Amino acid sequence: MRKLIVSSSPHITSPKTTRAIMLDVIIALSCPLVASVLIFGFYPLFLALLAAGTAVLTEFLYCKARKKPSTVDDLSAVVTGLILALCLPPVVPFYVPMVGAVFAIAIVKMLFGGIGRNFANPAASGRIFLMLCWPLIMNSFLAPVKLGDGFASLFDNFKYIVTFDIAATTTATTAATPLASLGNADWLKLFLGDIAGSAGEVSAIAILIGCIYLIVRKVIDWKTPLVTVLSAAVFSLAFYQDIEYVLPSLLSGGLLFGAVYMATDYATSPNTAVGTIIYAAGIGMTTMIIRKFGSPAEGMALAIVLMNIATPLLDKYIKPRPFGYRKEKKPKLRKAKEANA
Amino acid sequence: MRTFFRGIHPKDRKERTAGCALEKMPAPDKLYVNLAQHAGAPAEAVVAVGDSVKCGTLIGRAQGFISANVHSPVSGKVTALVKQPSASGIKTLHVEIENDGLYDEDFLPPLENPAKEDILARVKDAGIAGMGGAAFPLFVKLSPKETIDTLIVNGVECEPYITCDYRIMLERTEEVARGIALVKAASGAANAIIGIEANKAEAAKKLAAVLPPDIKVVLLKTKYPQGAEKQLIYALTRRRVPAGGLPAAVGVTVLNIQTALAVCEAVEKGRPPIMRAVTVSGGGVEHAGNYYVYTGTPYKFIYDNLKGNAEEDAVAKILSGGPMMGMAQSDLSASVVKGTSALLFLTDAEISERPMTQCINCASCHKCCPMNLMPMVFESLYEQGEFASVKAAGVLNCIECGACSYVCPAKRPLVQVIRLTKKTIKEKGI
Repeated sequence: MRKLIVSSSPHITSPKTTRAIMLDVIIALSCPLVASVLIFGFYPLFLALLAAGTAVLTEFLYCKARKKPSTVDDLSAVVTGLILALCLPPVVPFYVPMVGAVFAIAIVKMLFGGIGRNFANPAASGRIFLMLCWPLIMNSFLAPVKLGDGFASLFDNFKYIVTFDIAATTTATTAATPLASLGNADWLKLFLGDIAGSAGEVSAIAILIGCIYLIVRKVIDWKTPLVTVLSAAVFSLAFYQDIEYVLPSLLSGGLLFGAVYMATDYATSPNTAVGTIIYAAGIGMTTMIIRKFGSPAEGMALAIVLMNIATPLLDKYIKPRPFGYRKEKKPKLRKAKEANA
Repeated sequence: MRTFFRGIHPKDRKERTAGCALEKMPAPDKLYVNLAQHAGAPAEAVVAVGDSVKCGTLIGRAQGFISANVHSPVSGKVTALVKQPSASGIKTLHVEIENDGLYDEDFLPPLENPAKEDILARVKDAGIAGMGGAAFPLFVKLSPKETIDTLIVNGVECEPYITCDYRIMLERTEEVARGIALVKAASGAANAIIGIEANKAEAAKKLAAVLPPDIKVVLLKTKYPQGAEKQLIYALTRRRVPAGGLPAAVGVTVLNIQTALAVCEAVEKGRPPIMRAVTVSGGGVEHAGNYYVYTGTPYKFIYDNLKGNAEEDAVAKILSGGPMMGMAQSDLSASVVKGTSALLFLTDAEISERPMTQCINCASCHKCCPMNLMPMVFESLYEQGEFASVKAAGVLNCIECGACSYVCPAKRPLVQVIRLTKKTIKEKGI
């Protein structure tokens, strides 16, 4: 008999590994990715691959530089890159997603200890960083390309690969996002994604398909997206006091995308059920506050990062009570005084 | 269908042995009977080298309140008293008995229509200890300070691979039912409930047909750790055993199926538990199945008997007990005790060894914890040496079911660290 393995129980583990989880997220992300190709052509796909590649390379080089074993095979860098690219406007110069990916991976993720240790969502932080670097580019949304215009039109946007000159673009190609003109939106267009907006954020149906996949595979907790959307709906109604505004504000501006793919990030969301509900409700509320009183396009990313920062507090003060635990009765003040005397 | 909070769904892998009827395994020429085969103080040897013994002769007497008598499984001669490792790896005193092959019996007198006190005395004399794995002396469970109103019988068998209790329920249905009735009478409980997982519905049906009306059978959801005491009590009665407390605190006592059978045999035939049903399975044995094995039978004997044509080098891990809570063996020198439910010879493919990576903070361990604990918080506090904080966070409530380590996508050794933490807290008196 060969040398036996002796270890402490359990002796079997579930096949679900970090890599398997990340692979599931990539599969779910492919839904909005495909939608973005159908809506804006191949350029967003090119940006997504560029961002994912840069993210992986950054993590690999970081590990090399720190003389640590490479962690890229857990695929989490790919996820970060894809999410970052999908929440950018569909047409930005090639260096924008690259800079964002380097910031997200090197600064937000790896400097704080890598996977599971980051204090804020790398993709959301990356987006905010890019917003601060190139505010004009980050706020220019192109109108969707029409599939009916022929296959070649899907490659149209590659002409902006190096420079995206705002001044040179006519009003015919840039378009206002529904967020800027709430209330006039066509609901079906909003649902399918035939609107201007960030690459992966426009098609609600694609995001929802990905969301259902992640919930069925038990990768994400259904509470986070549901509570985020409900809370956003409530605050949208409170701020605009018009029921017509509720659906457009939920279906546009990256709220759904953020609720499904960014708010559910494990490391930066609370561990307990109660904490998760407060966190998700906080995201919905903060998003609506920023949209109402601040910059509409940044609402979701900022709200997520703000609630990420609140997560350690939520985990500190909301502690699960062990099964069968009974709260000890505090001794009554008078009795305690008598005991002291 | 009733169940407890959370838990996990490992593949049950019972299909290979669930259909195997119980067979009797012959006794080896030499048996090593462990004198510390129950929870609590080891029994004191009452035989000396050279003494002859019969099946059922008392060889170890209970010492102290939490302890149990030990009896000789075969007839023959005591050839040595040796200190050797038991399945847990801890060295304990074993009585080496040379089997003369005659199987002369020296049982206790059978009892007819026993009163409550007679049953209790018999449970104590026969040294019956819980046969589900923990081997807690039954006499102690039946004589708590609190009054017991409900007796719960654990027919859950939630560990993968193990099917011996299932076969006992199918094949010894009436004796099990009589045993439960006897324990119910001895405990003074008004109700008795048998909890059985839904994947053993056939056994539940068979038992329900022979049980008196005051004993109920309840089907439970198939989920691990359904058979853990506190979870089983909650699933069946909605009572929560207080943290740090025993089932008696909520008026319940829990009994395993094979323990019920042992009580029946001890009362009706005077026969102490010198043999038990053991599931032998895994890719490393050809003749997997359920066997009646004498206590004191070395694992080596079982392996040699059942290995068949299976590849010897294919065995990667040998487990005494199930894959979730069983003990890995470094060799085959340990022997069967009252609490041995399974002996598994697992191949590389069956034991999934996966590399450990960094915690991703997914809280899966918390979300599956039947005790609602935070294993990943315990682990990081352990790494920081913050034992007082871990204790305050409730680590002592852990039932060590291993669900957290099972689900962890980063394959962190969570329950293993919790065991270390509990040990350190105990040793340092924090």
